[in-house]
Amino acid sequence: MQRLGGLWLLWRRPPAAGVAAKGLGLREVASGVSPPGSTSPRALNIFDRDLKRKQKNWAARQPEPMRFDYLKEEVGSQIADRVYDITRNFSLALDVGCGRGYIAQHLNKETVGKFFQVDIAENALKNTLEMEIPTVSVLADEEFLPFKENTFDLVVSSLSLHWVNDLPRALEQIHYVLKPDGVFIGAMFGGDTLYELRCSLQLAETEREGGFSPHVSPFTAVNDLGHLLGRAGFNTLTVDTDEIQVNYPGMFELMEDLQGMGESNCAWNRKALLHRDTMLAAAAVYREMYRNEDGSVPATYQIYYMIGWKYHDSQARPAERGSATVSFGELGKINNLMSQGKKSQ
Amino acid sequence: MSGNGAVWGRVRGRLRAFPGRLAACGAEAAAYGRCVQASTAPGGRLAKDLCAPEFEALRRCFAAAAKKTLRGGL
Repeated sequence: MQRLGGLWLLWRRPPAAGVAAKGLGLREVASGVSPPGSTSPRALNIFDRDLKRKQKNWAARQPEPMRFDYLKEEVGSQIADRVYDITRNFSLALDVGCGRGYIAQHLNKETVGKFFQVDIAENALKNTLEMEIPTVSVLADEEFLPFKENTFDLVVSSLSLHWVNDLPRALEQIHYVLKPDGVFIGAMFGGDTLYELRCSLQLAETEREGGFSPHVSPFTAVNDLGHLLGRAGFNTLTVDTDEIQVNYPGMFELMEDLQGMGESNCAWNRKALLHRDTMLAAAAVYREMYRNEDGSVPATYQIYYMIGWKYHDSQARPAERGSATVSFGELGKINNLMSQGKKSQ
Repeated sequence: MSGNGAVWGRVRGRLRAFPGRLAACGAEAAAYGRCVQASTAPGGRLAKDLCAPEFEALRRCFAAAAKKTLRGGL
């Protein structure tokens, strides 16, 4: 991996998100510009980003980080597959929330010329995996990208957008830094993720303590994802879902793995304490309600893969209303119509 | 977190023993799980301590398993 000497940028969160970057004497970057149609309230603050940075730093500093990498490796390779499916070479690419670089390790120098790796945790950037593409590591928050407009041909993001506070704004910023005819390929956790864990903890906490508090963070629904991408300005959207089921010996091993991945809860409304009785009860409920035949318990990870393009004149557009030359009623005679068309050409 | 992580390591070590002890109490855990699951059926209502007897049995079995594997104090 090559690092252009000294190109480590530390970008602290600007004091007020709405202040134009020009006033601070900086070039116009994505974080300072707020698009005119944006209606996201500034008070949207669900996750403690400082704590998430500490958790990711801790996870990346573990003695055996590859023990917990399996999910991110799988999703990273799926995203790399989708990049290869697009028959184009990208000279400049950006990975938002890259972790240890799970996507870049699968891509080759012909497809992507140079890769910018952005993550909130410096330990993850220091322990990147082997990759052949030259990279530049940037320490930045996913919601405050320090890049100018129309910079990147390709932006990828794998399993990190579910911790951003203002998802519409993050997607708008990704759209902003893309060049026209650039593409964004992302993967996010979906609504059904870890539903077994959520239900078990909910039931156990209700039975043991009389009420429950959320322990699994809220995920985006697939309809909302389409709306968000459209609102951010993306064209030609594609969203598909995939479910990965991983079997664990029990609930405690699942929770340990989640912590090792850096996916511990960091919502402001989290309860600071989980009683041992409740944990024991939840493990018993999990095993009884969801176990497999061989005694292991499954955990479901639902992944949404999304592809969105930035508008460019060369892209196909929907035809004008009323410009049809054949009607659907003639679908049965389509073979005749096609051979007629070929003869007349 | 503390400098050498001594407290955290101790607490985490205790927690790592949980799965083994839970495995030793399979029957009680299954009974408790069935009781809670029954309350999720239509018409059931899950309230605090609905399955308290089953949970007490599970906790006693769990503590007994802990005593068996005890090595010089928790």
